[in-house]
Amino acid sequence: MKKNVLLILVLLFGGLTAHSQNGRVTGNVIAVTGGTPLPGVNIVVKNTTNGTNSDFDGNFILDNVKQGDVLVFSYLGFKTIEVTVSSNIINVQLEDDTQALSEVVVIGYGTQAKKEVTGAVNLVSAETIAALKPLRFEDALQGQSTGVQIIPSSGSPGSPLNIRIRGISSNGNNRPLIVVDGNITEDALTNLNPSDIESITTLKDASAAIYGTRAANGVILITTKTGKKNTAATFAVNSYVAFQETPRKLPVLNATEYALLINEARTNAGQTPLFNDVSAFGKGTDFQDKVFETAPVFNQDISVSGGGEKSTYSLGAGYLSQDGIVARDKSNFDRFTSRLSFTTELSKYFTFNTSLFYTNTKRKTINESGLGSVLFNALNMSPLLPVRDVNGDFTLAEGLGNEVINPLAQIANTFNESNTNKINGTAGLKFKLDDHWSAETRLGFNYSLAKAKFFSPIAFFGSGKVFNNSRSSVTEIKDDFNDYTWDAFVNYKNTFFEDHNVEVTVGTTVFKNHGDFFNATGFDVPNNSYKFADLSLTNNNLADENFGNGQFEERLVSYFGRFQYNYSSKYLFSFSLRRDASSNFGPNESVAYFPSGSIGWVVTEESFLEDNDIVNFLKLRGSFGVLGNDRIVANTFRSLLSGEATAVFDDQLINGKAVGRIPNPNIRWEEQDQLNIGFDLTLLKNFEITTDFFRKTTRDLLLEAPVSGIIGSSAPGSAPPFINAGSVRNRGVEFSVNYKTKLTKDLKLTVGGNFTALENEVLSVNNDVGFVTGGNFGVGQEAPSRMEAGKPLGYFFGLKTDGIFQNQQEVDAHATQPNARPGEIRFVDTNQDGVINNNDRTDIGSPIPDVTFNFNLSLDYKNFDFSASAFGQAGNEIVRNFERNQPLTNKNRSFLNRWTGPGTSNSQPLVTTGATSSTLFSDFFVEDGDFLRIQTIQLGYTIPKSITQKAKINNLRLYAQVNNLYTFTDYSGFDPSISSGAPIGGGIDPGFFPTPRSYIFGINLNF
Amino acid sequence: MKLKINLYIAVAFLGLSLSSCSDNFVQEDPAFVIDSESFFNSESDFQEALIGSYDLLQATYVNVMIGEIASDNTLAGGESAVDVPGFQEVDDMTHTPVNQQLRDLWNWMYAGINRTNFIMEFKDKVDFPNKNQILAQNRFLRAYYYFELVKFFGDVPLSEDKRIQFGQETSIDRAPVSEVYNLIERDLRFAADNLPYTQAQKGRITKGAALALLGKVLLFQNKFGEASTVLEEVINDGPYDLVTDYNSIFESVGENNIESVFEIQYSDLEGAGFGCLQCSEGNVAVGFNGIRNYSGPLFDSGFSFNVPTQEAFDAYDPADIRRDVAILDINTWADQTGATFVEGFEHTGFYNRKYIARQGDLNTGDANLTNPNNYRSIRFADVLLMAAEAFSRSGSGDVKARLYLNRVRQRAGLSDISLSGSSLTQAIWDERRLELMGEGQRFFDLVRTGEAASKIPGFVAGKHELFPIPSIEIELAGNRWTQNPGY
Repeated sequence: MKKNVLLILVLLFGGLTAHSQNGRVTGNVIAVTGGTPLPGVNIVVKNTTNGTNSDFDGNFILDNVKQGDVLVFSYLGFKTIEVTVSSNIINVQLEDDTQALSEVVVIGYGTQAKKEVTGAVNLVSAETIAALKPLRFEDALQGQSTGVQIIPSSGSPGSPLNIRIRGISSNGNNRPLIVVDGNITEDALTNLNPSDIESITTLKDASAAIYGTRAANGVILITTKTGKKNTAATFAVNSYVAFQETPRKLPVLNATEYALLINEARTNAGQTPLFNDVSAFGKGTDFQDKVFETAPVFNQDISVSGGGEKSTYSLGAGYLSQDGIVARDKSNFDRFTSRLSFTTELSKYFTFNTSLFYTNTKRKTINESGLGSVLFNALNMSPLLPVRDVNGDFTLAEGLGNEVINPLAQIANTFNESNTNKINGTAGLKFKLDDHWSAETRLGFNYSLAKAKFFSPIAFFGSGKVFNNSRSSVTEIKDDFNDYTWDAFVNYKNTFFEDHNVEVTVGTTVFKNHGDFFNATGFDVPNNSYKFADLSLTNNNLADENFGNGQFEERLVSYFGRFQYNYSSKYLFSFSLRRDASSNFGPNESVAYFPSGSIGWVVTEESFLEDNDIVNFLKLRGSFGVLGNDRIVANTFRSLLSGEATAVFDDQLINGKAVGRIPNPNIRWEEQDQLNIGFDLTLLKNFEITTDFFRKTTRDLLLEAPVSGIIGSSAPGSAPPFINAGSVRNRGVEFSVNYKTKLTKDLKLTVGGNFTALENEVLSVNNDVGFVTGGNFGVGQEAPSRMEAGKPLGYFFGLKTDGIFQNQQEVDAHATQPNARPGEIRFVDTNQDGVINNNDRTDIGSPIPDVTFNFNLSLDYKNFDFSASAFGQAGNEIVRNFERNQPLTNKNRSFLNRWTGPGTSNSQPLVTTGATSSTLFSDFFVEDGDFLRIQTIQLGYTIPKSITQKAKINNLRLYAQVNNLYTFTDYSGFDPSISSGAPIGGGIDPGFFPTPRSYIFGINLNF
Repeated sequence: MKLKINLYIAVAFLGLSLSSCSDNFVQEDPAFVIDSESFFNSESDFQEALIGSYDLLQATYVNVMIGEIASDNTLAGGESAVDVPGFQEVDDMTHTPVNQQLRDLWNWMYAGINRTNFIMEFKDKVDFPNKNQILAQNRFLRAYYYFELVKFFGDVPLSEDKRIQFGQETSIDRAPVSEVYNLIERDLRFAADNLPYTQAQKGRITKGAALALLGKVLLFQNKFGEASTVLEEVINDGPYDLVTDYNSIFESVGENNIESVFEIQYSDLEGAGFGCLQCSEGNVAVGFNGIRNYSGPLFDSGFSFNVPTQEAFDAYDPADIRRDVAILDINTWADQTGATFVEGFEHTGFYNRKYIARQGDLNTGDANLTNPNNYRSIRFADVLLMAAEAFSRSGSGDVKARLYLNRVRQRAGLSDISLSGSSLTQAIWDERRLELMGEGQRFFDLVRTGEAASKIPGFVAGKHELFPIPSIEIELAGNRWTQNPGY
């Protein structure tokens, strides 16, 4: 106690001494427009390191200031001002730097003032991410960027989302290059905690060409949070809890309706009805009700950041736990993340920076998105069957075909678990000689160890079911991935004759990834129980068939240079060239050059538009460049003995060696040229408009094209060679507008909207048949999707329907159609040869939307804030592929409107258990995929500072939010936003696990 | 001074990074992979490649199914009229050059041929004592695959001792049937000359297999004299005999028995999926033929393809013990045992009992694709009937023909036949159907004996003797080949 008093006295005295010697300055910083207080403004005494930051209300206190000192006030997005100290109280107003648009954009191996950017670039800020509450970083891009489409592959916890920038430009890999703090990250980004992100920049056009052979799908640059110099430690805590439910259940027949339709279907096939009295069946079992449940999400993040004179730091940790709305015990996702970011000035010339991440993810999955998946079974299961029989055992799904089983029995017998540990980060050294010369080198790395375990218990689901298992087994998988990226580059910038600004960057980058994988299966798990499902307890016959291993490696060496010039920030010019050498191509084709150039004109810098109140800012831009895509399977130019050779002698499997994939020594990268013309416009200070027109053509598409079978490509473990044999063009327009205003003193409004219109066309497929097929429909039917010149990539190829045969005369008058009878679907004889067969298949839809659009709205009133966002798409089709069409499987309620006699229906065919052609792939199964989704609605309340500051809390905000509130659509499946993401075969819905609707309650706390 | 040091450091690290990484960095050979062009350095390399040649035998399950479905023995069946359209169309004789199953067959046989030619291409690279034994097995396999192709498609592209490489497919023509048979005969004679009658491992090709296949190949070319000589050599010198209990032949205990001259080995030890049916080590046909949604004793479920017709059932004398081995009357069986099942498409009430799924295997997933039932490709009974036919049709061997025919009939519990001349030939043909019911031989027997048009509904003479070459294969090979007549 005594000690403390002494300490206080010393501090007090010391403080007074300081005050008396040099003086304390206090004050307040606000924005000129709106007069809102500006927190975090950097205030330093010029030419010293003495400085501070304004607090949440814009107030600041700075000691050791003498009369005559000059204080420098700087803040991002505002003009820096200098004030000479003449009194103890200095109040400052900072002017918006709209004219300079000093926002800085990360552009790859450097940054650039947004004003001078000549490429098509999108930016998503930490504030946007905070408002959206995305579970994954991809969600943060959803609806925020023109030209960027986020397509979930499922709504199940932890399932990947596909990012598509400006359409699908390859039949192969369409994933953009993702760079986190300069570190190229090729594997899934499930591990990145969105709240660690400072900004996401998307390079959509030829400005990505600085990334050369990896840039054709666009580049996403993620910057994570760092601390600020000379700030005290600031803590931020964000927590929320959410409840999720299915946004939709599909209308299927209840027990009575089902029994009636089964009887009718049997009668129509000349069989006797199965049920004599249907009246007692009632509604029966609703299997969707049984499998869908309400499931929680918990999220907790904490971070601290700050900095001293020379160093800054930021540390954070987060935990997310999400259960699935189907089988929450068997389908869930846990993520623990932690990160450290540290920057320090080693000397006048050198700055060291590093960021490190450790993440652990755990995921459990159920059978989803396919024939025989849990939801597929819930839709097709007979409503007459209870979940459990009189003995309490799961009901066997007898008579429902080989794939449809009791979905609850399926869940109970599902044990899939994976666990991934990942460490990644960067370390870099910056050298700054003077205002002109600087250099930077950095090493980025990713390491991950993924483990998975699958247990298949002995299980019986009914006669002949493909899921029956008479011998239990457990499979364990361990994969490890390593990659590193090493960049080194030199930057020179200077201004000549006052207005000629030049910047040159030259550098090199080296990338290598490698990894190996190992898996083994053991049999006869003790007690048929997951508790004992481990290889150490099983009968391990480590013959080749129960054991696998392998490794991969890819290397890339690149040199790049960029020259930027502008005249007085008015006329802008940029040129870049990259040379890549990749291990994915043969020695003759391993080197590629990727040039790009762009120009810009800031019209508002011209005297005739200067000081004009209507057009505040106008920049015209154009860019053109060549980009590449090298993501193909490695070593395809070599003929390797990687095929499968297994024969049976003496009842044992004997393994040998055989040729794997047929090599193509002349394989080369995909090459894309992209033209972009656009403008950025600010009108009346509050309207910001950006428009871009683009055209990108990808050539030399890497196809695993069908090749003649006589070269042996169908051998086990072999595959057709990759060939460069196609081209695709995407053309489109992007438009976005944002409007910001202050309606009253307390009411602020921001409204934004954007759309992207896109036309995708395959220009050529130069294999000998002129098309490539893909996808699956029904059972044993031909592939429904195609890539073919003149059509969108992956368009649907099937029969066209022309109503329903109403009577025998119509059947007789029509072309010869298998199984034709009144009530059957009438197919169009497209080739008019008098016969309906495979040759009548034609274009019946496209999975690629013509337009995608987004809307955002936010309102701030005093301590309340409200935001809402919506997104949607139009012009695409979805194939309904979740009906099994077995004699006893359940059906959609649309069959209540079936054809039952002349004139009863011209769209829904009769039901029959007999031979029918109505199940052939046709436009009967193709539906409009248009939708508009209300993605978020959020209402927040910030506790007044007068209250919170008593508890030393800077900011305390409570909020409630609904995600995926409602989807307006005519589509009859669970979720029109989901697709497998396959370029050929996407847009086919086998009963996708829907994106849940979630109700979120959360708290943000800063102190 | 300090500035200078910093500059040196900066220049040093940049210089290092710029100079250390040349294009050599991307041209290193990958680790732990073997290049196909630097293989065949020892006997064990040859042995390992030979396994690859054997591997495609298992893919001939589809040949066996089509050989049966195309004939008058069975209907396609399956789940519905659109379940595996390729089988349905072949059954109805409405097949066209677009048929996935025929394309699979074509591709898989050429996959086998390319693997055998891979060895032949490097056969002179090193020498070791045992080499001819390896080459003999390999050449038998090449002959087996080419014989399948020539049976199905007639003239086919032929390559001897060289793989057909990517790019060469557009400069190779269909070789006449006679040239293909010439290579097959040479291969089989080499195999017969260099192989023993018994091999240490079950499943390895033997001298007897080579001679028996040669006999069959000769019979298919109507070279009756040569065929009778070769087949009689198998009968007289080979270690083969008929098994007394016909029923036991097709059960697991009957695998590789004394009657087995050549048997394609299958196993349930490895899983399989629909994505690569040719990769399965199991007999895919068995699952496809199996009883739809079956629950009961002895058998396992399957997809109800390849279902025997009433006419096939009725072709047997009720006293013929082979009838109830070859054909399962499912309704009677269900009545006897309380078994349940679901009727599939074209349900006839019969199943192809020799090759439907049995209980007792490991049911490795997908259980329908991993049935371990071996395919009895050449049984001694077949050799006897081929010999009988060769003697009968050569015009001078009715005595021997009757001897061999009656050996087969006696085992079936039937009385001897004393016919001669063309009635004897017809009796041998009829006996072949009954003896080999469900074993995939019927269609080709009907075609080569000229009986097809009269027995198979929808069969058009002059067209359906051969299957169409998949049109996509013609296109992919540069449209050089003319389609078989009638398609």
